[in-house]
Amino acid sequence: MTRVLSWLLSALAIGAFGFLLCVFLFQSGPVWQSEGTRYITGVSWFYRQHVFGALSLIYGSLAVTAVALLLAGPLGLGAAVFLSEYLPQNARLALKIPLELLAGIPSVVFGLLGIALLRDWVYRTFAKFDPLSGDTLLTAGILLAVMILPTMVSLFDDALRSVSGAQRRAARALGLTRAETIWNIVLPQASRGIASAFLLSVGRALGETVAVFLVIGRQDNNLPHPWYSPAPLLEAGQTLTTKLGGAETNIAFGDPLHWAAIMGLGVLLLVLTAGATCLGTLGRRRHA
Amino acid sequence: MRIQATMKLFLPLFFSVLSLTSISAAPLKINGSTTVNLPVAEAAEILRTEQKMEIQVDTQGGSAGGISMLGDGLVQMGMSSKPVSEDDRSKYPKCDFRPIHIGEDAVALIVSKDVWENGVHTLNKKQLKDIYEGRVKNWKDVGGERAQRIAFFNKEPGRGTWEVFVHWLYGSPKAAPQVNFPEVGGNEETRSKVASTPGALSQLSASWADGKSVFALALVGEDGVPVPPESQNIATHKYPLSRPLFVLTNGEPSGGAKTMVDFLLGERGQALVQKHGYLPLKALHP
Amino acid sequence: MRRGLDIVMGCVAGGCLLACLTISTGLVWSIARRGWGALSFSFFTEQIALVGASGGIFWNLVGTTVLLSTAFLACAPLAVSLALMERVWLRSESMKKALRLGLYTANGLPSIVFGLFGFLVFVQWCGWGKSWLAGGLVLAMSMLPTVTLVVLERMAAIPQRYIAAATGLGLSQSQVAWAVLLKQSWGGLISGSLLGLARAAGETAPIMFTATIFAGVTFPKGVVENPVLTLPYHIFILAQDSFAAGVETKMWGTALVLLGLVFSMSVAALPSRLYLHEESDV
Repeated sequence: MTRVLSWLLSALAIGAFGFLLCVFLFQSGPVWQSEGTRYITGVSWFYRQHVFGALSLIYGSLAVTAVALLLAGPLGLGAAVFLSEYLPQNARLALKIPLELLAGIPSVVFGLLGIALLRDWVYRTFAKFDPLSGDTLLTAGILLAVMILPTMVSLFDDALRSVSGAQRRAARALGLTRAETIWNIVLPQASRGIASAFLLSVGRALGETVAVFLVIGRQDNNLPHPWYSPAPLLEAGQTLTTKLGGAETNIAFGDPLHWAAIMGLGVLLLVLTAGATCLGTLGRRRHA
Repeated sequence: MRIQATMKLFLPLFFSVLSLTSISAAPLKINGSTTVNLPVAEAAEILRTEQKMEIQVDTQGGSAGGISMLGDGLVQMGMSSKPVSEDDRSKYPKCDFRPIHIGEDAVALIVSKDVWENGVHTLNKKQLKDIYEGRVKNWKDVGGERAQRIAFFNKEPGRGTWEVFVHWLYGSPKAAPQVNFPEVGGNEETRSKVASTPGALSQLSASWADGKSVFALALVGEDGVPVPPESQNIATHKYPLSRPLFVLTNGEPSGGAKTMVDFLLGERGQALVQKHGYLPLKALHP
Repeated sequence: MRRGLDIVMGCVAGGCLLACLTISTGLVWSIARRGWGALSFSFFTEQIALVGASGGIFWNLVGTTVLLSTAFLACAPLAVSLALMERVWLRSESMKKALRLGLYTANGLPSIVFGLFGFLVFVQWCGWGKSWLAGGLVLAMSMLPTVTLVVLERMAAIPQRYIAAATGLGLSQSQVAWAVLLKQSWGGLISGSLLGLARAAGETAPIMFTATIFAGVTFPKGVVENPVLTLPYHIFILAQDSFAAGVETKMWGTALVLLGLVFSMSVAALPSRLYLHEESDV
């Protein structure tokens, strides 16, 4: 009986997720037919004229994620190095607790903090670049950095701990200083785990909706000209998730093509996050 | 064995609970414009306390959200600060949209305090078109004393306020050019963004412009005279951006919707309309 | 020189950790400072009035509780079944690996995707309109991978000799599952669920299209067309109007309450999570 129940319920669970994927794929069909590859490469999204080009949204998502990783990565790695290499067991556990609590702050509360603390700060600090307001891609990126920081520290810590203690002891016995041990022995061996940590954090950052929604300005079609210019970072932007969480989703349902375009964004988001998370998972060395 | 016993107990319980859920009375659900929401939400609170009615009010998607949810059958009453268009009617052929006029409002172009103090108190159609299409980017070019970047916030898709604005500038929402500006949502967000951003300009329901944190510009009408959005100007339609406030029903209002409509059109309801800064119906037909 | 570099690295790394901890405590302090003034007995027991400028958040607490309870009840059996599948029933190693990979991948999916799915399937196709059940099921889906993985890890940590002993005594696979695996991993289910619920409590994106409105309902009386009020959506709407007098304190107060809720659930789950996590030797 347990066996049958287990199989049934598991099939239900897996079926639900499979159904989700199918729903998104099929519902987005019309926009793929109508736009083809222009859906991904098109630079304009004007729903009233049924022009659906998601490139600026993909750019927004990637830009915000890149800023977040650039800020949180080094900081998180440094913190993780200190946690795993310099601190005794008890101190590690004790200090991990406040970090875990930071990870628990809900997204919408981060949005509040972004509005209260970050918005004005960004506006004033970058005043000489004459931003329109404090709601920019950069603001969203900084906020996201703070949000993924505890996750990154935790993942980096896992990666560093997966290097066996015997290696460290051998290095120290040979006379290397702690810094040299870390630099030459631990970090290179943990590099795969560190890369996985980055990938997993990319997945997490790409999927963040509400906090980013509140501080990003929600301006469509913000793309850099030329492609390497950082100017759009100080402009308001839009990501895949903020578009999905915004006003268009409410009104899109009655219009098949518009709804298909929204579902298509969901497909893109699923592909990007699932891809990043999958790759990150494959690279991780699990404990047990 | 244990599982079989659990299922024997659980399944009948589950189904009886499920069947109970179908006997509940249907509440009155209302959704739509944040502008119309103010008097309607307060009316709902009164009807809830006095007549024990079940009323749910939400403002998802603004006016367009109200129309689409009424069209989809998800709510019994929509709130809209713009008329129901032919497009809307053809999108929802099964829904017989009945707009009920409950008051009048105006769309104001609001600016932040520093712009007002910079000397910009009025704009004309051409200037607004230039700003909207991105040709003019600095307040100095439209009457400001010192140079400052114009921070224009456009309304997000579906907002009735936006449609009234482009209707005046371009004749119809379809004729409006494609533009890219940061977006704001309902009236609340618009006011708070404009109040907190230097150089800001956006569209807001006139009664929300309090003259302390955000300021309403006078608009230049057809005859070249700047007209501020004050009550007489809105009532006589001298101010070009006045718009009707509607509640919408599917067919003739009945049941809870009828009670709400009667209340809104009655003396107390109209007093609520006026309380929240809009014009009651009697001000339009003196 | 080498000694110098050693000290520098120690300082840099320590500085990074200090920065992280400062950010962490600083943010919590920010929220507490702003929201503390709103907390009072009436805040917890009254309902919203004046579009959030006065009154309390009683029904929001109720609504969030309804959603979380539903999510837990829907998620727990599925999570346990999936964990049992991986541990007991699945024979081939590659299928087990595929299941684990699928779980980890699903764990990283954005919550807005579940929200859209719920909107389409429950709100529109099933015709439920905005309903607490739709929200509960969507939250259950989004927390399922998390809970399953914790239960799985807990089951994997059960010493092999228990299972060997049970099988040696002649128990069938089902009986082993009940007597050994499930009995020993209730703690994992609880802590995993607490973890998942802590995340779900703060989620706005999955519920804003499916289950929640801003004002006007109390306790749901049926399934169809019965939304609830919730804490995160309340904050989300108020966040876009942070200038009206009186709203600001209430908004931060709600944020503080939500934070307290999430923290207490996370803290309750913490001991068993850290226990599972610590394995390396240095």
